[in-house]
Formats: sequence, structure tokens, C-alpha cells
Amino acid sequence: MIEKGRISAMQMAILMYPAIIATGVLIVPSLTAENAGRDLWISPIIGSSIGFLTVYLAYKLHQYYPGQTVIQYSEEILGKPLGKAIGFLFLFLYLHLNGVIVREYAEFVIGVFLLNTPMQVIYGTIIIVCAFAVRGGLEVVARTALIFVPVVTFLIFVLIVLLINDLDPTNMLPVFEKGVTPALKGSIAPQAWFSEFFVMSFLLPYLVDQENGLKWGMTTAIFVMVTLSMTNLVALFLFGDFVDSILYPVMSAARYVSVAEFFEHLESVVMALWVAGAFVKICVFYYALSLGTAQWLKLSEYKAVVLPFGFLIIIFARWSGDNLADLKDFLGTPAPWYLLTFQVALPILLIIIAFIKKRRA
Amino acid sequence: MIRRFTQKMKKSNQNFKEETVKALNEKEEQPKELSIDLKQNEEVIHAIYDNSFDIVIRPFSASDGTKGLMIYIDGLCNTEEINENVLTPLMKDAELTTNNIDTIIEQHLTISEATKVHTFNELIEEVSSGHPIILFDGNATGCSLSVEQFEMRSVDEPEAEQVVRGPRDGFIEPLIVNTALLRLRIKSPRLKIKTMKIGIQSRTNVAIAYIEEVADSTLIEEAENRLKRIEVDAVLESGNIEEMIEDHPYSPFPQILNTERTDVASSYLLEGHVVILVDGSPMALVAPTTFYSLMQSAEDYYQRFLISTTIRWLRYLFLVIALTLPSLYVAALTYHHEMVPTALMISIATGREQIPFPAMVEAFLMEVIFEVLREAGLRLPKQIGPAVSIVGGLIIGEAAVTAGIVSAPMVIVVAVTGVSSFAIPRYNAGISIRMLRFPLLFLAGMLGLLGIMVGLIGIIVHLSSIRSFGVPYLAPMAPANFSDMKDVMMRVPKWAQNTRPRLTGESNKNRQSPQQKPSPERGGES
Repeated sequence: MIEKGRISAMQMAILMYPAIIATGVLIVPSLTAENAGRDLWISPIIGSSIGFLTVYLAYKLHQYYPGQTVIQYSEEILGKPLGKAIGFLFLFLYLHLNGVIVREYAEFVIGVFLLNTPMQVIYGTIIIVCAFAVRGGLEVVARTALIFVPVVTFLIFVLIVLLINDLDPTNMLPVFEKGVTPALKGSIAPQAWFSEFFVMSFLLPYLVDQENGLKWGMTTAIFVMVTLSMTNLVALFLFGDFVDSILYPVMSAARYVSVAEFFEHLESVVMALWVAGAFVKICVFYYALSLGTAQWLKLSEYKAVVLPFGFLIIIFARWSGDNLADLKDFLGTPAPWYLLTFQVALPILLIIIAFIKKRRA
Repeated sequence: MIRRFTQKMKKSNQNFKEETVKALNEKEEQPKELSIDLKQNEEVIHAIYDNSFDIVIRPFSASDGTKGLMIYIDGLCNTEEINENVLTPLMKDAELTTNNIDTIIEQHLTISEATKVHTFNELIEEVSSGHPIILFDGNATGCSLSVEQFEMRSVDEPEAEQVVRGPRDGFIEPLIVNTALLRLRIKSPRLKIKTMKIGIQSRTNVAIAYIEEVADSTLIEEAENRLKRIEVDAVLESGNIEEMIEDHPYSPFPQILNTERTDVASSYLLEGHVVILVDGSPMALVAPTTFYSLMQSAEDYYQRFLISTTIRWLRYLFLVIALTLPSLYVAALTYHHEMVPTALMISIATGREQIPFPAMVEAFLMEVIFEVLREAGLRLPKQIGPAVSIVGGLIIGEAAVTAGIVSAPMVIVVAVTGVSSFAIPRYNAGISIRMLRFPLLFLAGMLGLLGIMVGLIGIIVHLSSIRSFGVPYLAPMAPANFSDMKDVMMRVPKWAQNTRPRLTGESNKNRQSPQQKPSPERGGES
């Protein structure tokens, strides 16, 4: 086996949580608000159904083929040529997705803080530390996440607490003004994020306590739902109807914080700690990509492909869009269908075939 | 191609190793066994110890008329005891026969410990350890006498690890005293102390201490194997050993803890760690070590637990300050003005008005000066030390500010950082943190807070990727073990420290009876 490290199901949960919300809390509120308007906080709750489904799919497939990742069992399910093709599609998806994530990260950092810094520097620095972590193996990524995630989560909650004074709950009324349709439409973007739970299939084979995989996966999905819904609510309470015109509502919310007229303008601190979350997210996908490639090519270890993929990710990040508007357009319209096809429809197909095959055997 | 090259390198390395070892051993190519003929033995010994003025080779005749020879190193043994308890009985006792060493040891030598030697190598070893050897004509067995006595300082308080409350004894140089100090604290026979000799020239005694059935047997084996691999000419201090057995030689963080305190060493033994003592060094090595144990001081366990926990948290805060304060200052000044409250920003800006340097250069300059002052203060004789700190600290700081080379806030930042770094109880951990400050400073100068974050992520990734003797360096935080966090997030009271840490004391988990929490109701209960 290429990966010798083992993590616990709880560590997996701690890896998966920032792997979904890191970019989620940043962009999802404004993406949902475009369609859902005042009901934007309901959208993540609807969207979470996809999260639960994906976790279940990943777990079920893993139960059928224990100790294997999607790259390996797709070959067993569909036979060598077709399975390899599917494997390639998954790897390409994760390469592209990784590029998009890095781009989101860089657009955010440059757009809000380092206005004059070349984007390549931002790509480069994060990719170097991520490559460093991914080369260390799954255990290292998981341990790093264990240090950062409590801090990042704590930060989100502190931020909300500090904002309580400025929150106006009446902004959410009336609920379901135009029926359920806007909330349903708005849930498409969170669904894309929730479908990213399928990356779990690269972590499940390396759990010490396999039996807890489903439990912790579902727990993470619930936490992600609560977090996304809550940040959406806070954004709504704070900005009311303007929320859809604000690019990064959470970041803008941080600007409102003022405690004792001394702790003001905390957005830099929020950014700094958010970087840690983004780091974990990039690491998880980067790891899945590197490990999957090594398995796809039947290499004896994956460390050799980590750095080359770093360059590829930077290139894909550049290709992800011409500018932020372009990127946001991609995330809002084609991305959900693109991600759902690969991470939900394809696994459903795999599981049906696997089920039939098991039946016959 | 590369593989072939490395193989070749390995091969030539192997050859080189064999050659050096051979060359080092060459001097010891002596006839192995002692001979029956005393004359012959004497010649060999003279040959071995030619040009050594401190070697005393004293011929004598035993009371039965046989020729005898005594060899010892002047200054390493108690000559009074030799006179009274060795030479007197040998030369005066009437019924002495020299053909049986055992009877001599049993009936005539009035000293506590004497052993037999058969070879020249043994003889050399014994003589070098301060044990005189007596040989008799017509007997191929010698006798070594444990009457060593040499100058040593007394057991006193370790200077680098002082406490307000707690025992004052520290390890000193001779190994035998140090092992005795450990025995005094842990009297159970389960405390095992194995020794081995390391160093082809120095032949230093190195002891591994552990508590049987508490320390993991694989850990003991691993420690022994790592020690056995060492092939050096000399071990002068336990630092030499540390460098040869640590897991990640390129890491800036110490992976083996060193301590001079006997209570610290004992407490680690009780948690299932292995303690390595080196003859001639007052520094005991403790393995495995985690990052958090470098943040603990002996006194934490002797003060009341609320105070200790608070102090421990303060220490974590100071760790962060020592690592990041100058870079945060630089980042805030260069990129994130809005972070600093306006009034403070104005006063900093006024102070910086005439400063010619960018904040990063200014910080770098002051940090380097601080490090130099620290290093100089450390090496200076005690009488000059205060003078340097006055000249360096007051005059340079004050003058630099008035001359407009550095701003006053920067001096404050550097001072706070410097002081914080000394709040880290382990000196070598403090140094690592201080050194890592510089790359962070550069990153802050180039990328602001993002740079600091990237640097910190890098450091944490590194910390989570290293291990010390198989134990992850960031344990028990990552990988998380909630039970073991009782000694990291806080210092739980003694009555709640019921279990040993999972990664070192798994085999013997419970260290005390549970439910010993005292309360007034339990006062008189028996």
C-alpha cells in the first residue's frame, strides 16, 4: 500500500470540515444570495442532503471494496480500460478543482489585502507549504489540521459573538416570501460544495476505526451545514438585502467588529487564520490527487508526483478564469453540474454496477 | 545513475569506516591474555604505558616471597586505602598464598569490591577507571581493586534549571554519582540501569535507565540499538550522543530533552521514558520527547495546579510572542495599518518619522543586536557581564533611538520578544524559537500577515512530520489524545493524574489509585 499512515475517523472529520467550508464560508453566501435572496440561510440546509448522500456513497463503495480508493475500485467495477478512463476523469477533476480552489484563495488574498502582489507569488507560497505537508503523508496533513481547525472554528464563533450587537434578526423576515423555489435555486451552489465530500473516498481506506467512518462523515456534514447556514444568517442579519451585492460577506462582517474601540478592523486577522483553513482544504485535494495518480500509474510511492502537480495546479489556477467575475460565474453556473456529475452521479453509477456484480457473484 | 552513485558513495564510506576503526584500534593490538610470567607482563605494561608519567607501576614482594606488581593511575585512587587495606595485608599476612586470587580477595583484601582480570584489555580498562591492578608472579589472573577516588564538585543546584520550590540537587559529572541520585529517588528494583562503553578512545560509560514494565520494551531496544550504532572516537558530553541518536538531524527543534535535574529525570522515568546518562556530563538525555514537554518546567508540578496551569498558558503565549511579535509589528506597519488603533498608529508613526530604514530592516537590525548581546553576555566573565548589559542594553538602545536610527516602539518590541523567549523553560528550545523568528521576519516584510501565516504553517507542518523515538512530536495535541492533554492544556492536580501518557506508558497505564481527591469530609476517614 502506498500510504502507510493511519488516521482515526475523528481526524478524518477534522480534515473534511475545513476541506468543505474553507472556501465555502467565503463565497457561498453571496452565491446563494443571488438566487435565494432573504432565504439564503435555508439553502445550505437543503443542499446538505447532497452532502449526506455523498458521504453515504463514498462509505458504501468503500464497504464494497475495503482498502481501496475510487481510482482502484473503479477498475474493479468497470474493468481495466473503462475503469482507467474513469480514474483519469476523477484525477482530472481533482486537478482542475485544486486549481480552482487555489485561484479562489489567491483572488481573495489579492482582492482584499495584497493588492499589488503578483498572483504567482500567492500561488507559489501556498503550494510550497502544501507540497511540504502532502509529501509528509496523510498523518502529517491530519495532524496539521488538528492544530489549525480548532483555531479557525473558534475564530468563526468569536467573530459571530463580537458581531451580536450589530445583528438584526428581523432582516430574515418574511421567510419563504416567494415560496420554496428561491431557496431551492440557491441551494445549487452549496450542493457543489457538499458534493466535495466525495474526496473522503481517498481517506476512508486509511482509517484505523473503519466502522466509525460513516458516523464521523455524517457528523462533519451536519457541522458543515450548521456553519454554512449560520454564516449565511449572520451575513443576512448584518447586511439585510444588500447581502447579494457583497463579494465576501464574512470578510466584510469582520470589518464591523469593534470592541472597546481598540479591537477594530479584524479582517486581517480573519484572513490570516482563514489561510490556515484554506491550507487544509488545498492539502486534502492535493493529497487525493497525488495519491490517486500514484495508484492510477501503479507507482510504488506518490512523493515523486507531488511537486510536478504543484506546478500543474498553479497553471490550472491561472486557467480557471480571466478574472474574479469569470471565476464566480464558473462557480455559480457550470461548477455545480460539473461537480455533481462527477462526485454524485458517477458514484451512483458505480455503486449500481457494483451492486449488480456482487449479486451475480 | 543517481542510485549507482549513492551506492558507490556508500561503499567507499563503508571502506573508510572500516579503515578508521582499524586505525583507531591498532594501538590496542596487544597480546590478549595475561601471562604467568610477571616479567613478561611487566614489559607489556611498560610498553603500553610508555611516556605516561601518571602511571605508577610498583613492584612489591608478598609475604610468602612471591614477586608482585601493582599498577594504577596517580590521582585516580585512594592511596591511603591501598596502603592500609591492600599492601599491608599482602606484605604482612603470614598465611598468604599467591597462587589463588580468590582466596586473596576473600581472606586478605579488606576492601569492599575486587574483581579478577584475565586480559590486557580488561587490565587497561580497569586501570583507566581508577582501579589499581595487582599481579603476582606465577599467576595469569590479576585482581582489580575498587578504591577509586577522584576530585569532583559537590552535588549542587543546576544553574540552567532553577526553581523556587522543589529539590535542589542536580546531576554532576561522574556517572556513578548520577545513577546513585536516580536510585535515591526511585528505590524500586524495577529501575534498571544498563551501561555500555562508547568511544574508541574515550571509552565513555553510557548508561540507559528505565523502569521495567513501565517503559515500552521496544523503546528500550530501540534506544540501545541506536547507542550501539555509534562509532566515534570520543564522547565528551551527552550532546555528542544526542546528535548521533536523534531522529531528524536537520530539524531546528531538539528531539531529545536534556536535563540536569534529578527530579525531572525521575518523573520522565516514571512516565515510561528512557533516560541516558553519560559519564562526564551532568546533562541527562530523555527520550522520547515531545514539543510540549519542552514547555514544561519542574516547578509546574510542585506549585498548586491552578497556578501552574495559568503559568503554563502564559508560557504558551510567550512562545507565540517570542516567535511572531517582531514579524507582526513589521507586517502591521508595512501592510496592515488599519489593524493598529488610530491613536497608537499615530504615535508609532511619529516615532518612525526620521527613521531611514523600512520596518523590516529596522527589526532585523535590532534583533541581531539583541542576539549578539545575549551571546556576548553568556560567554563573558562574571565581572564584565553587567557592564556589557548596561552598555548594550541601555546605551545602545537609548542612543539609537535618540540618534534616530531605530524607533522607540521597535526597541520595546525587540525587548519584549527577547524576554519572552527566555520564559521558555528549555534553553535549547528557546534558541530554536529565536532562530525561526528571522525567516518569519523576512516573510512578514515581503507578504505581511499572509507571509507570517505561510511561515507558521510551514513550521507546524514540520513539527507534525517529525517524531522522537517513534512518538509524534506534537502528541498529544496532534494526533489528539484527550486523556493525555491533562498535562498539556493544563496541569491537572496530582490526585487526577491517574494514568500515564498513552504513547510511553501504555503497558502500565495506571499510576495511582483513583478517587484520591481530598476534601474536608474525607478528613479523618481511614
